Amino acid sequence: MGQDARPNWDNPLQFILACVSYAVGLGNVWRFPYLCQMHGGGGFLIPYFIMLILEGIPLFYMELAIGQKMSLGSIGAWTAISPYLGGVGLASVVTSLYLCLYYNVINAWSFWYLFHSFQSVLPWSVCPMNSNRTGPIEECEIATPTQYFFYRETLNISPSIEEHGGVSTGQAMCLVLAWLLTYLFIVRGVKSTGKVVYFTSIFPYMVLFIYLIRGITLHGAMNGVKYMFTPNLEQLLNPTTWINAATQIFFSLGLGFGTLIAFASYNHYNNNFERQAIIVSLINCGTSIFASIVTFAIYGFKATVNYENCLERTRLLLLNTFELAEDSMSFDQVFDWIEKLNATYPMQFAEIANQLEPCNLESELDTAVEGTGLAFIVYSEAIKNMPLPQLWSVLYFFMLLLLGMGSMLGNITAIITPLRDFKVLSHLSDELLNGLVCVFCMLLGLGFTTTSGNYWFTIFNDYGANFSLLFIVLIEVIAVSYIYGIKRFEKDIEDMIGHRPNWYWKIMWAGVSPVVLITLFVVYIVNYIRGGTPTYQAWNKELGKSVVTDYPVFGQVFIGLLMVSSVSCVPLTALYVFCRKRKRANHPKRRAVSTAST
Amino acid sequence: MEDVVFLLLCVSSAAAQLCAPDASNGYKVRLSILAALGDEAYLWNDSEMFLFRAALAFAMRTADGQNYDVSNVLVCDETPRVSFWFVVTSPLNPTQLVERRQVEEAVRKSRNRINSAFLLTDKTLEFLGIPPTLAAPAPPSPPPWLIVFGVVMGAAGAGIVLVLVTSVMQKRRKKKEEQTGIDEVEEESRAEENGTASDGVYNLSFSDNDRLTQM
Repeated sequence: MGQDARPNWDNPLQFILACVSYAVGLGNVWRFPYLCQMHGGGGFLIPYFIMLILEGIPLFYMELAIGQKMSLGSIGAWTAISPYLGGVGLASVVTSLYLCLYYNVINAWSFWYLFHSFQSVLPWSVCPMNSNRTGPIEECEIATPTQYFFYRETLNISPSIEEHGGVSTGQAMCLVLAWLLTYLFIVRGVKSTGKVVYFTSIFPYMVLFIYLIRGITLHGAMNGVKYMFTPNLEQLLNPTTWINAATQIFFSLGLGFGTLIAFASYNHYNNNFERQAIIVSLINCGTSIFASIVTFAIYGFKATVNYENCLERTRLLLLNTFELAEDSMSFDQVFDWIEKLNATYPMQFAEIANQLEPCNLESELDTAVEGTGLAFIVYSEAIKNMPLPQLWSVLYFFMLLLLGMGSMLGNITAIITPLRDFKVLSHLSDELLNGLVCVFCMLLGLGFTTTSGNYWFTIFNDYGANFSLLFIVLIEVIAVSYIYGIKRFEKDIEDMIGHRPNWYWKIMWAGVSPVVLITLFVVYIVNYIRGGTPTYQAWNKELGKSVVTDYPVFGQVFIGLLMVSSVSCVPLTALYVFCRKRKRANHPKRRAVSTAST
Repeated sequence: MEDVVFLLLCVSSAAAQLCAPDASNGYKVRLSILAALGDEAYLWNDSEMFLFRAALAFAMRTADGQNYDVSNVLVCDETPRVSFWFVVTSPLNPTQLVERRQVEEAVRKSRNRINSAFLLTDKTLEFLGIPPTLAAPAPPSPPPWLIVFGVVMGAAGAGIVLVLVTSVMQKRRKKKEEQTGIDEVEEESRAEENGTASDGVYNLSFSDNDRLTQM
């Protein structure tokens, strides 16, 4: 009995759903709506789609082609393309490893919130009592209950990255659970992953659809949707808009991590991946837009509720100060009354002038938030105001969990598939190797559950992948177009799917995508250098808000290490292979002896 | 007649002096009836005010034990907001005001009863200066999230154990099949080595073709 044949997906649908499950992740929900808001609403779709056509779909297609042709993980595939380029695969694995370490922490938070939704009063809707029972806890009063719940009860965050503390047990337990589930989903490799992706890719759409109906029917939702979609075409003249569109397409599709190569390596040789590449890319972008509509409907609801609460507070203040009857002022007459009272009782008005909050719907809508802030703070605030908040909370965090888990499957597969290809590890059973990788990542990931863990999480999130991915994909596209050769690549594709890629693909691979990537790469470096000391948001419990703080020296060193460690795999491996070849070339006698003996 | 009028004037002026906005022993009360009851709001009139004074007298009685009467609760400075100041006079000496702290204690003790008399809550019937006592915290039973966590963790653990056990069993079955398969192959090869004479392949070139090639 020879070596086991490479496992395959049960059918092409599993492959498509796996790619969709991987690509459609948290970024679609919390990054794209933010970008839309920042860069002119509906107008942002123009650079987004242009970048999709110029770099997104061609690079996606290319990675699938490489994986399916070589039938190996990223390290093996790139070594097959050129022995000097094995480092590209290694860099992908290292980047995926960094991603795996911190990504499951987000799933742990989703679990935490999900479990806490099974209560009659959602814990982030009210401030808990302080120990004297004289009032709510101070930190919670100054900030909002949702912020307090996230920063204090979930993370138990320290005031800065320098101050360490113990592991937060609740978080650690949720992280262990997240890793247990990840292991359960990948324990048998593609055979188990292939079945799980039916659920992790389809169920989030059902929840998004339910949320769409709920969101649009909320009071004030149309404010948000209108605000988002009103195109501000002036933003198109801003180069940052185009850069952000390109970067978003890039990261949203998950290029460069080696996941796509790994998934495609389990395909049958003649699978038609050209159609699948286009389908998955379009589904991913469609989901981003769909998710933004939902997000903005809920944004609009939250902003309207806050605005109306602000008006109500102002109204009460005016009623109480000027002893007016309750029904003399409805809350849409507040502004008229302010002017009237200011004119008739200027002295009394001046006394309360500093207590008057400026209530402005626009500024409520303008508070653009992205990332964990959007998902866990803003959304949970909106949910607590909905009727039957427990149901909506459970649904929402379950959806976040599925999106995160789906992406996590891809991330882990990107590490395990190349490892499997190594002869040293191939005698280990599937279950054992997967288990070892999961345990390793889990133990390191516990570091993110300490009190300063969230700041380390932010370092990994902001710097762990962005720079290395740009570099990796740039090398990839140049390697395929110029080192491997477009003609050879064409022939391989014809061999697999029966026809050559047409001129659009070839122009993109050889010309347009490298140019776009080089531009992104240069702009990233320039921005990093010009940005001065990197900063982060530290939670200040006295002020009840996040404060911009500089990273300390060890933090900056770590950032540099992170960025360099994955990128340096490429030149180091090339050097290593070069030295090994030279050594072999310097000992030709040995080779003559060995050929004679066979 | 003039004496009676003079007495009444004295009493009312005395009352006016006792009860005034920002009185040292008085409290301001604010009601938000519309906010609390919406469509079912009642109109604030003299009868409601009488009920308030009676409720407050009841609260003083409950706290103090002395026989407070409606006339011991003096009210002034009513506004359209429905807010007013009140002071409480001692039943033994109508010109003497009851200490602030005692009034506060009495109100605190019977706050619930006063609130329910007006169908209001701590937030909508405000005694400015007397913060409402907050509810006791819930008893620390096992927090609900732990229960859900335990269920999901148990399910995940059970799933993993199941998968691992089935894969171990599958491997054992495969090994057994392989073992029997190898045994069969060995038997066949042994048979081949011994049975060439009887199990050989018929080689046509050595067959007897004389019938066909004869001329």
